[in-house]
Amino acid sequence: MIGGDGRLGSGGDVEIGRRIPLIATFMILVFGVFFARLFQLQVIQTDDLRLRSERNSVRTLRLEAPRGDILDRDGRVLATTRPAFGVQVIPHDVHEPDVVYPVIARLLDRTESEVRDVVGQPRGRKRFQPVRLAGDLSYDELARVESHLYALSGVVTDLRPRRDYVGQHLAAHLMGYIGEIQGSQLATRDFADYRQGEVIGQSGVERTQQAALRGRAGGRNQIVDVAGRVVGIIDEIEPVPGGSVQLTLDLDLQQAAEAAFLPDVLGEPDKIGAVVAMDVHSGDVLAMVSKPSFDPNAFAGGIDAESWKHLTTDRWKPLQNRAISGQYPPGSTYKAFVVAAGLEEGLIEPKRKVFCPGSFRMHGRTYRCWKRAGHGWVDMRDALAKSCDVYFYNLGVELGVDRLAFFARGFNLGRKTGMRLPQEMPGLVPTSAWKERRFKERWVPGETVSTSIGQGFNLTTPLQVAVSYAAIANGGKLVRPRLILRVADSDGRLVDGPSPEATGTVPVAPEYLALVRDALTAVVEEPGGTGGRARVAGVKVAGKTGTSQVVGLKHTEGLEEDEIAFELRDHAWFVGFAPADAPEIVVSAIVEHGGSGGTAAGPVVQKVLARYFEKRAVQQVPAEVAWFEVPHAGH
Amino acid sequence: MLGIDRRSVQNFDWTLLFLIGLLTLAGMVNLASATAGGEVMSSEFRRQLFSLGLGASVAIAFATIDYRHFERLALPAFAVAAGALVLTLVIAEVTRGSQSWLFGGRVQPSELAKVALVLALARYFQRYPPGQTTRLRDLLWPAAIIAVPVGLIVAQRDMGVALLTLLIGSTYLFLVKIPWRAWLGVGALAIAALAALWSFGLADYQKERILGVVDPGRDRLGSGYQVSQSRIAIGSGGLFGAGYQEGTQTQLRFLPTQHTDFAFSVLAEEWGFLGSCLTLGLYLSLLIWGLVVARNSKDDFGSLLAIGVVGCLFWPAALNVAMVLGLAPVIGVPLPLFSYGGSALVVTFALLGLLMNVSMRRYVF
Repeated sequence: MIGGDGRLGSGGDVEIGRRIPLIATFMILVFGVFFARLFQLQVIQTDDLRLRSERNSVRTLRLEAPRGDILDRDGRVLATTRPAFGVQVIPHDVHEPDVVYPVIARLLDRTESEVRDVVGQPRGRKRFQPVRLAGDLSYDELARVESHLYALSGVVTDLRPRRDYVGQHLAAHLMGYIGEIQGSQLATRDFADYRQGEVIGQSGVERTQQAALRGRAGGRNQIVDVAGRVVGIIDEIEPVPGGSVQLTLDLDLQQAAEAAFLPDVLGEPDKIGAVVAMDVHSGDVLAMVSKPSFDPNAFAGGIDAESWKHLTTDRWKPLQNRAISGQYPPGSTYKAFVVAAGLEEGLIEPKRKVFCPGSFRMHGRTYRCWKRAGHGWVDMRDALAKSCDVYFYNLGVELGVDRLAFFARGFNLGRKTGMRLPQEMPGLVPTSAWKERRFKERWVPGETVSTSIGQGFNLTTPLQVAVSYAAIANGGKLVRPRLILRVADSDGRLVDGPSPEATGTVPVAPEYLALVRDALTAVVEEPGGTGGRARVAGVKVAGKTGTSQVVGLKHTEGLEEDEIAFELRDHAWFVGFAPADAPEIVVSAIVEHGGSGGTAAGPVVQKVLARYFEKRAVQQVPAEVAWFEVPHAGH
Repeated sequence: MLGIDRRSVQNFDWTLLFLIGLLTLAGMVNLASATAGGEVMSSEFRRQLFSLGLGASVAIAFATIDYRHFERLALPAFAVAAGALVLTLVIAEVTRGSQSWLFGGRVQPSELAKVALVLALARYFQRYPPGQTTRLRDLLWPAAIIAVPVGLIVAQRDMGVALLTLLIGSTYLFLVKIPWRAWLGVGALAIAALAALWSFGLADYQKERILGVVDPGRDRLGSGYQVSQSRIAIGSGGLFGAGYQEGTQTQLRFLPTQHTDFAFSVLAEEWGFLGSCLTLGLYLSLLIWGLVVARNSKDDFGSLLAIGVVGCLFWPAALNVAMVLGLAPVIGVPLPLFSYGGSALVVTFALLGLLMNVSMRRYVF
């Protein structure tokens, strides 16, 4: 084991032995430099450095960069950062606590014991650290505090940037909210250069545009004494404010869309639901509302536990953006895709009429049309205009569930639209294979019947419906909804400006889409159509009503709407685009538990469209207005 | 062979033990002050005490087994260390910008790599004596041995430790007999490598730190702040120091990493010029004594091991003190026996055990 090449004696390799002093010399030289440096610092410069240590020490204060603004498409401010005044107490400097605490409590409209609880009784170094009493004073409060400061030793005011969502609830889900960075986020590469306690966007545009809005923090090297009190400032690096993000949103349309959810009767809560307005060619999101909403300002100074609990446990889920993550059966809005599928597959002769006796029988079961008395003889245009269920039962069964699914997918249902916002849901397009996989059960033909009128397993989001109707409107192009128009840095230089994108084309020939558009125009513009309440003066509107069932018909059959409990009432859909001949804008809306689509959701879309054309008429040159406002008495 | 030979007990190196003991004591006392905060013992201090116990047992194990057995362990140990580094790259979570911890942050494979590297290089040079290494191409194998751990640590983005490992490996260059003209070539290569590293390998903050040494006015908020606080702390210590737990810079926590990378500035503030010189003197004595052990070893492998251990202590100490004194960029290199950190302490003790091993067996045959 031992021996072999192990040499005996005390020398080892002669060469190694001779080189060891070289190593020793090198080390002694290096340490010699250290001794010299220590002598320089600790003997020669000691007085100077000790002075700085004992009386003056440098401490770095981080200066947060003001977060960038969020603007609408015309540059109007939606979210900004404003200065906010706060009040702090330095416990050590409060010489007369029995005077200071009652006075400051009265000035801030709080009780003395509340103030004392917040301050506590810190010991040691903590006595010198300021305790925050109030974060965002009104000017009145500030004036009151400032005018008493001379008598309040230990009380100081400070100024910090604070996020301000100018419209409060307006577009809250798109704005998102800010909050302190979480430990799990800090551990990821995206936040490698962030530090604990930093405030970042936690949802909506605040989150997706975090990098652009953030800016760069600066710092101030200040001289503090041994107690940590600031006695001077050495230098300061100004923070670089965050860049501005301009959205495709149109504030006027957004306001109209928000107002459309106001209650019919004063004093009642807002209606629940969502609306999306989009440019049919560019995919620009012009308005997006989800109700109930929240005020993101509540998060600006750090949200308190009670408010947070309130928001997260509310049964109507105010934090959820229903426009992108609310999944509802599309109801009769689905019928436009079924017609498109039937035309493309050659199963529809547009002029051929089908008789609707008010119900449809298959395999011994009866499926009712929503109109119990029946529609009589209807052709394709009538069927869509009057939303005749029986026509679609026949057509759906002829197509079969898997062909229906192929076309539904072709219209971008069942997958995300690719709008770059977190929490978007894909919806669901059922197929026979899907049911096999999901439930280990065979597809039943009866399910095809309910699928063909948009009920059953079908699920869509309001944004999806907007995108698929935009494709009908624009001749077959599936656009990617665009929310960000321009991103600029704090000096106004363009950083990012995403161009409109198409994600595909629908598998239906343009001439068939034209037939669908014509039938959808009849829905709104012709007597007997279900969508008359979406009419806008001077503009031809096309659209489709829909009702998505919350529970099976039998619970509510035969009852008048106001006799049905709110939660059991159906969701109301309406999706429309205009002008019908040369579409520009598509609006899709859902009103939860609103009852029938035409009456509840139609007016919501109508208000947004009306605002759009009202605004456009002002902007357009008079000659063009004249051209497009030629009245059509016959329609 | 296994077990303790009577003569190795007789030849026990009391000087070495004395130097180690004194430095460890100084390190622990300093850590107690650096982490002091109200309680009798800070949680960091308690954890370090536990690591010290673990380290002592490891040191005894490394001192007891005849070092000549380690020669056979060199290659397997090298393979294991390399494997652990690869594993870290694959699975470890990213913490503080680099991924260098395994088992929930308890083991740092780059520390183990140091021991493996010393064993592997000692084994290589024992077979191919450095005195016969006269041409650069003779260094291809050692260079490859060094490149494996260094490359893997670079991949973990732990530039400080990578540099340290490179320097430890290159300690053996003092022994080779390559003419000075050849070193010019190496120098040119090194400059090219550094230029490449600067352009592709370093993050912006790392570049800032390096530029900060040349121009301390740069990066006033980041590492420049640490260096200037460190300078104030050291300077205010003066000749005799502020006294144990009396340093205002230390106790008021002006240095964010005073118990890890800046432990020496705490010592300098509280014990002054005399205390810091005494400590550095002790350090230098330990290193020189290590070289004496290398010279007295009865075989090449023992000498080479001892030189490797000295390298493992010298380079981090030199880089750390240079950084604390504002002579080198701020790179995260701890000061052995002084900085807080269990993994490093245990490995340092293992290496010291190895040194004792070589020393105890200088006459055994």
